[in-house]
Amino acid sequence: MKRLSLSSRLLFTVSLVLTIFLGFSALSLDKAFRASSDVAHKKQMKNHIYMLLTAADFAESGNIIMPAALAEPAFATPSSGLYAQIINKKNTVWQSTSLLGLSLVLPTDTEPSEEKFTVIKHLKSDLINLAYGIVWENSKGEEFEYIFNVTEDLSATLQEKASFRRSLWYWLGGTGLLLFIIQALILRWGLKPLSDVAEDLSAIENGTENRLSMNYPTELRRLTGNINTLLDQEQSRQQRYKNALADLAHSLKTPLAVLRNELELDAEFSKVKSQSYIQLNQVTNLIDYQLQRAATEGRGTLQAPIAIDTITTKILTSLNKVYQSKQVQYSYHIEPNLRISANEGDMYELLGNLLDNAYKYCQGQVMATITAKDNIVTIYIDDDGQGIPAHAQTDILKRGKRMDTQTEGQGLGLAIASDIVDAYQGTLSLGQTQLGGACFVITLPQR
Amino acid sequence: MRILLIEDEAQLREQTKQELQRQHLTVDAASDGKEGLYLGLEYNYDVAVIDLGLPHIPGIEIIQRLRAANKAFPILILTARGRWQDKVEGLESGADDYLVKPFHFEELSARIHALARRASGWSNPILACGEITLNPASQQVTRSDVDIELTAYEYRLLHFLMLHAGDVISKTKLIDHIYEQDHDRDSNVIEVFIKRLRSKLDPDKTLNPIETLRGRGYRFNLVNDSETSLPQ
Repeated sequence: MKRLSLSSRLLFTVSLVLTIFLGFSALSLDKAFRASSDVAHKKQMKNHIYMLLTAADFAESGNIIMPAALAEPAFATPSSGLYAQIINKKNTVWQSTSLLGLSLVLPTDTEPSEEKFTVIKHLKSDLINLAYGIVWENSKGEEFEYIFNVTEDLSATLQEKASFRRSLWYWLGGTGLLLFIIQALILRWGLKPLSDVAEDLSAIENGTENRLSMNYPTELRRLTGNINTLLDQEQSRQQRYKNALADLAHSLKTPLAVLRNELELDAEFSKVKSQSYIQLNQVTNLIDYQLQRAATEGRGTLQAPIAIDTITTKILTSLNKVYQSKQVQYSYHIEPNLRISANEGDMYELLGNLLDNAYKYCQGQVMATITAKDNIVTIYIDDDGQGIPAHAQTDILKRGKRMDTQTEGQGLGLAIASDIVDAYQGTLSLGQTQLGGACFVITLPQR
Repeated sequence: MRILLIEDEAQLREQTKQELQRQHLTVDAASDGKEGLYLGLEYNYDVAVIDLGLPHIPGIEIIQRLRAANKAFPILILTARGRWQDKVEGLESGADDYLVKPFHFEELSARIHALARRASGWSNPILACGEITLNPASQQVTRSDVDIELTAYEYRLLHFLMLHAGDVISKTKLIDHIYEQDHDRDSNVIEVFIKRLRSKLDPDKTLNPIETLRGRGYRFNLVNDSETSLPQ
């Protein structure tokens, strides 16, 4: 299944959140507006009642006398939408001029001191009516009940509400759209480094670039840095393969030439045979050596640290098995939990070759010591063999460097070890022996 | 001595087999892991030579499974890749020695003989019991420094008896260790070989090197001279 891209995920969630948030704001604003407009409206209708009450003049007979003009001009304009009516015992005793020509059925059953809001249907519009019951007592103590009705056409308020709602949605919609666009722009800008990486990578694939540019935000720099390290390692590995292959082809030519000459010179068969053995051995050694060189991983920052004591003890146990008849006493002193950032195979090869040499040339004792200090791991491999005479020491280390120029003995193992040490920018030297034989000292960077 | 050889490369397998047979070793050769493991589990070999890169079942797994089945015979691994990690892995899984290809046949047979000797407690490359010595490298048998000519099967028989000098070896065990797996086995032939060996090694009947234990088998009676003989 194709997974959604980061930007679509973000855009989708952001727009969802925006919609929900703005929707809720609109709803609550709308509700609040309606509530407050209703309250205001009712208050205004009450005011009209009070105004009517103030204007009304009650005669001793219980009749009501209303002034010709009221403070609210809308009562005087016919069909203005604001109407008033005073009822006594179901009879209309007074009504506003605005009610002329209209036949509204207004409530007549309101109890004294009761306020009642009702909605009245008239033609196509809704009207809201406030009925207010009062009792008037004259000086004789007679009581007269009146109902004051104030009615207002709702269509105006409804229109007002609708226009509020409309403008509310316009504003919120506009804000939402604006936020969405800003969000999309922010996303684009924020995710740009990722698409830059993708572009850089395809440039590498096309061969126009060979590494990622270093100009990335902090969050990505570790990642792009590691990718660059991997690329560098890959390039140097390829270079090593190329070199090893070229060296192999080149160095094989000498033994092959010797063999061919032997055959062409028509020499004795026994001589050809013995020469062939020598040259075949040489060819085998060259292949082993160059193969090992190509396989060496070398120093790289992405290698997980490995436990060097496990490797050393494994090799020592193995060698003890192989050299069982020699009854070698081995001892090792390795700092506990010593770890080194190196390739496991390389360390097997380095320690294997040097320890194998020690077992081969010792009388009966081999000692391995590994210490670490200031980011440098030092390995001592000591034996009680004949040792290497002083005059040959520089020679043997130098010969170790170039396998092509030498043949037998310590050579191949030492040459391989020397190459691995080089690949880790370490050193290989001869040190002070404690057992009386040869003591090889290797230093490697720990990280 | 009976050797199990597991090697998938046909030419190398045949060459090695012939070379080992030339040295009077009994060789069962298998061309893949499955067959090799079957043979290894079925028979008691003196030494097994196992290539690490095999079809069906890898060499390492064969070694592990043989060891898990309590097969204790020495195992020599052959490997084309001379990587130390592979060697260590092979030795850890139960092998006793390794040889990196390409190898010399002398090297291979020297290693095989050394492993067989080690397993039966000999430390010297030449088996010496009193006046009688046997040199596995040259397949030479002498009595008081005088060469004794033996046929291939007589040599195989003597080699096995001397390797296990002092132990009682049953007739079936002898047959198992000197004949190839598909060979026609006739236990009466063993008696004939023993008789001939006795007359060649001890014509005047003063030494009595091979004792017959009725119903149990044979025993090479002369003591292992290389004094360092280790208990098995």
